Amino acid sequence: MDADLDPILLEVLKNGFDAIADEMALILMRTAHSPIVRDAMDYSTALCDRDGQTLAQGLTTPMHLGSFYDAMRHLIAQYQGRIAPGDVFIGNDPYAASGQHLPDIYIIKPIFHAGALCGWATTLAHHVDVGGLVPGSNSIGATEIHQEGLRLPFLKLFDGGVENETLFTIIATNVRMPDQVLGDLKAQMAACRAGEQGFQALLGRYGADKIARYGDALQDYAETLARAAFSEIPDGVYEFTDHIDGLGENPEVITLKLKLIVAGSEVTADWTGTAPQVRGGINAPLSFCKSNVYAALRSIMPLDAPNCHGFSRPIHVVAPPGTLVNALYPAPCGARGITGYRIVDCVFGALAKAVPDRVAADGTGGSTLPSFGGRNEGQNFVFSECIMGTWGATSAHDGQEGVPHMASNQANVPIETIEADYPIRIEKYGFLADTGGPGRFRGGVGLTREYRVLVDDVYFGVRSDKNLYPPHGLFGGEPGARSRNLINPGNGERSLPSLPVAPVTLRRDDVFRHEMAGGGGYGDALDRDPALVLEDLLDEKITPAHASAAYGVVIQPGADLAIDWAATERLRLELRAARMAATVP
Amino acid sequence: MAVYRIAADIGGTFTDIACLSPNGMLSTYKTPSTPDDLARAVAEGICAIAARLGMDRGAFSEVLHASTVATNAILEGKGAVTALVTTEGFRDVLELRRIRVPRLYEPLYSKPAPLVPRRRRYEVSERLGPKGEVLKILDIPAMTALASMLALSKVEAVAVCFLHSYINPAHELEAAAILRRALPGRFISVSSDVLPEIREYERTSTTVVNAYIGPVVARYLRSLQERLRQSGIGGRLLMMQSSGGALDVERVIATPARIVESGPAAGVTGAAYLGVIAGYRDIITFDMGGTTAKASLIEDGRVVTTDEYEVGGGISLSSKLAKGGGYALKLPVIDVAEVGAGGGSIVWVDPGGALKVGPRSAGAVPGPACYGAGGEHATVTDANVVLGFLNQTALAGGAVAIHADAARAALSKIGATLNCDVLEAAYGVHRLANATMMRAVKAVSTYRGRDPRDFILFAFGGNGGVHAAALARELQIRRVVVPPGAGVFSAVGLLFANIEVARSVAFPRPLEDAAPGDIESRFRELEARVIAELDGGERAILRWRADLRYAGQGFELSVDVAPGISTDDDMSAIRQAFEREHMRSYGHLLDGQRIDLVTLRVIGSLPHGGADRLAAPPPEVETDAYARPVYFGAEHGLCDTPVIGRGGLRQGARKGPLVIEEYEGTTIVPPDATASLDAHNNIVIDL
Repeated sequence: MDADLDPILLEVLKNGFDAIADEMALILMRTAHSPIVRDAMDYSTALCDRDGQTLAQGLTTPMHLGSFYDAMRHLIAQYQGRIAPGDVFIGNDPYAASGQHLPDIYIIKPIFHAGALCGWATTLAHHVDVGGLVPGSNSIGATEIHQEGLRLPFLKLFDGGVENETLFTIIATNVRMPDQVLGDLKAQMAACRAGEQGFQALLGRYGADKIARYGDALQDYAETLARAAFSEIPDGVYEFTDHIDGLGENPEVITLKLKLIVAGSEVTADWTGTAPQVRGGINAPLSFCKSNVYAALRSIMPLDAPNCHGFSRPIHVVAPPGTLVNALYPAPCGARGITGYRIVDCVFGALAKAVPDRVAADGTGGSTLPSFGGRNEGQNFVFSECIMGTWGATSAHDGQEGVPHMASNQANVPIETIEADYPIRIEKYGFLADTGGPGRFRGGVGLTREYRVLVDDVYFGVRSDKNLYPPHGLFGGEPGARSRNLINPGNGERSLPSLPVAPVTLRRDDVFRHEMAGGGGYGDALDRDPALVLEDLLDEKITPAHASAAYGVVIQPGADLAIDWAATERLRLELRAARMAATVP
Repeated sequence: MAVYRIAADIGGTFTDIACLSPNGMLSTYKTPSTPDDLARAVAEGICAIAARLGMDRGAFSEVLHASTVATNAILEGKGAVTALVTTEGFRDVLELRRIRVPRLYEPLYSKPAPLVPRRRRYEVSERLGPKGEVLKILDIPAMTALASMLALSKVEAVAVCFLHSYINPAHELEAAAILRRALPGRFISVSSDVLPEIREYERTSTTVVNAYIGPVVARYLRSLQERLRQSGIGGRLLMMQSSGGALDVERVIATPARIVESGPAAGVTGAAYLGVIAGYRDIITFDMGGTTAKASLIEDGRVVTTDEYEVGGGISLSSKLAKGGGYALKLPVIDVAEVGAGGGSIVWVDPGGALKVGPRSAGAVPGPACYGAGGEHATVTDANVVLGFLNQTALAGGAVAIHADAARAALSKIGATLNCDVLEAAYGVHRLANATMMRAVKAVSTYRGRDPRDFILFAFGGNGGVHAAALARELQIRRVVVPPGAGVFSAVGLLFANIEVARSVAFPRPLEDAAPGDIESRFRELEARVIAELDGGERAILRWRADLRYAGQGFELSVDVAPGISTDDDMSAIRQAFEREHMRSYGHLLDGQRIDLVTLRVIGSLPHGGADRLAAPPPEVETDAYARPVYFGAEHGLCDTPVIGRGGLRQGARKGPLVIEEYEGTTIVPPDATASLDAHNNIVIDL
């Protein structure tokens, strides 16, 4: 830190910036209209300096971390010299605005003080629909971005305070749920206004020069913390390969290959060898790939390190153009979230080899995203939500259950509000026994959610994964159970692939059931304390048959669950012997 | 009638007693808490104060009480053995929560365990639709069999939560009746009674918290009653609720989830009451103790409540965003923002070279370095000793010895790391603690569209007066008020609590479709319930409130509604009140967007019969003031600062710098500020 900087004022201003980003996040959530923003919290807010570098980001969605910088550079380059007080910018296009995917719309407001541009209030929210092939605008089956909905380069939604009526009308006409989209855009604008006011108060108090200097110092400080954290990782090249199940009914596996190179205080994520971009909506633009690498590496930094741009300086991302992780126009990317989750999982997979006590075994692979769309009582409806989630086990405890993927700290949508607002009934929501990957510490058990549609002609789509490649364990821990998508289970049941491309139409009373994968285990299951196995039995997270098959724990016959210790010891010896035998050629 | 009120607030370290005489004289008493039997310190403290006042222990008309007994049961996992009965297919709603976790970027995060483990969560066949229509009738034989099984088990409390019961409680009531028959004497908690509101996780969790603490709170309050009786202490026992307002102990035993935040609520309620008496209607309260600092808002003389609350969630700077660390409790709680910055908060330097304050605390043992009890880490209190803000030899009238050299040694180490002298390091800690506490103030003001400059700062807690003036300056607040008894203010606040009952009902429909007569009759039904529960008849003061939102939003705003709704004008008044609040909170309206009613509420209160204000004590002999050097930053340097008592302001206003030392706390008046006493014995600092 520079000697002439006051470290206390730096901390004071860091608090001030964080408070602004959090206030923006809170206002956006409280005024939003779509369940995916107001309940699932799939949005982000940030306060940026005059160059568009993030000073603070609200505590919402990790996979948006770092998503503002590339977009801000794009915007600033495009509008340099034509940015005025009262402007509000809008954009969403991955190629024309360095955006994420079309449903993620940026609303950005420049902040002026004494006539000079001093910073930006920025927001990014996942909108319920932006038109295109399917309700929800996340078609797996899209083959080019033009099919995915309304593409917005950075445009002025307000020009010097004057509303761009044309643009509002175009947006309202091109989306299936204009009330929700416009409502959420207004919520984003309210958040930007709060950010502007908060930052102007700081500028008034300390002056633009001081704020700029301390903003720069904050970036340096974050960089210092990041370098300190990375220096603790042993130098080396850590490789990891992960998979996405593939597109459609006859999927071809999609491979992600990562080489994580740790050298001193710098980390490089090299994706050379990863599959080419695909003809389906799961391609990740480079900015999204970087965001996810940042989020994963941020997880091994101190918890209270600032989420500002500076911490990403020692991180380098090598992603060959034209691959799944650096898609080029016109690759579609509506459902690219799945690739983002896998990017994070790859980084954790590689980190497990370097710092095994700092990460968990593989989890459910991110949220499953079902979408339902159609007409009800004469109106369009689109409903989509995130089903989550379970984590793999760690060196210290069982996998967590009922948690979001690390990359997307989202919430579920209350069943009662779904049923009050949409022609959908939730029939079941809960854990599935025997699905956690066995291990000394058990992977989290998977869970299921069942939907019954109450009207005819409902378009249905789903984005999921981990059917062909279930979550892996660590250090002898076994994988969790596979995920499944079922239509009308037990009643003319048929299954859907992880990423169906062909449209599915549901009729009244049809049921969709998703079973999430279970988390991977950590360590040898035969080393698990039988008392913990008994606890799992009491909670019906495993069955007696699974207890003996997977853990070698035998239960005494009778009504009360009790361990037969002698039989358990015998069975564990037998299972170990059988394992040894299996390795003898 | 001469009414003496006595109040007891049990904290982690001390039990505070306060007594108010009919003519408004305040007496306070502090005694160590007795964790093995909390009631003992209460009874002994009350007896001690009665003896000091020379009055009969049986003469108290009311005993008011605040306690952390409910919160502790949750934090320590010592609640009742509880079972949960849910709709078939949904027993895991409680454990799955809203999924979101409070900590980002933490792969080793561990979720709090559910209060009811899966093995005691039972499903029964029944189902309602979102309009309350019965899709599947309750399986009575299965419910009866379940109740019989529970009767044979060790279960002490049962929570019942079925889907959509907020709109139709019939199935829950049937199930509860079966349980009550089979399990007489055990605690039954029913969601449609505890919280008749939409959102199954929040309703289930609230009902479960109520069940989990029910038997514990009942046992505690019964033993307290018995202890008071044995000690010959008279008076009706009333307990503070989280929402402000006291409640008869029998009602508390029926719905104990109402009292989890009783201590903080008591302080804020007292601030609202005494603030209004002193002429302030818009107040930000600032309560700084040993481990945390809390802020809350009083607007137009009224406390602001929220239902975005989690019990046992720990301290979080932005608790409303980062949810999931505790157990959702969606009953109204006074909206208090808390940060981990108190007197005992530990000061440290992180690997990036930045100075940090808290959230780790040195606690009561070993405490700050200056206590000389083995604490090695510098704390906020140590910095305040080094700066001269706190007495250099002893606090609390000599009860706590201060080792100023130990404080200086601890801060010197911090200074060495930061490359500055000990005074600058200490002043840095002081500023940083203020910066952290500013976030608590902002969370209750700017986050809701309120400008702190429109408010006064009402400071209490052991350290409130030390930091209040500097904090107010940062926020450009012009006036600070430090009440008498600031160091035992939760107990003082209890003395002015009215008896209060709040009831709500789900009323989801578009405002434009709601018939005035329907709204009126639902409000009247609620009123009747509230009046019955108050046992107060026509003396009750009733307040109507409605929660509304724009169609599609997920969060409501609560507004006052004038009782008596019959005309279209009355309906537009509700609309306008909502629009005003929306504009104020968020800065915009959604023209043409439908407005939906969500919940109706009635809050009834019975004014207490005690003194309505604090009297100024008789003139005391002011001991000779002395002066000590106090550091107010580079701008002022070390100032030779007079040290006086509260009575030292009685002759008239005095210019800062000043240190005002009292038994329960210290108040700092910086240079360029003026301090005076008002008619109610409050210290008023004008900045």
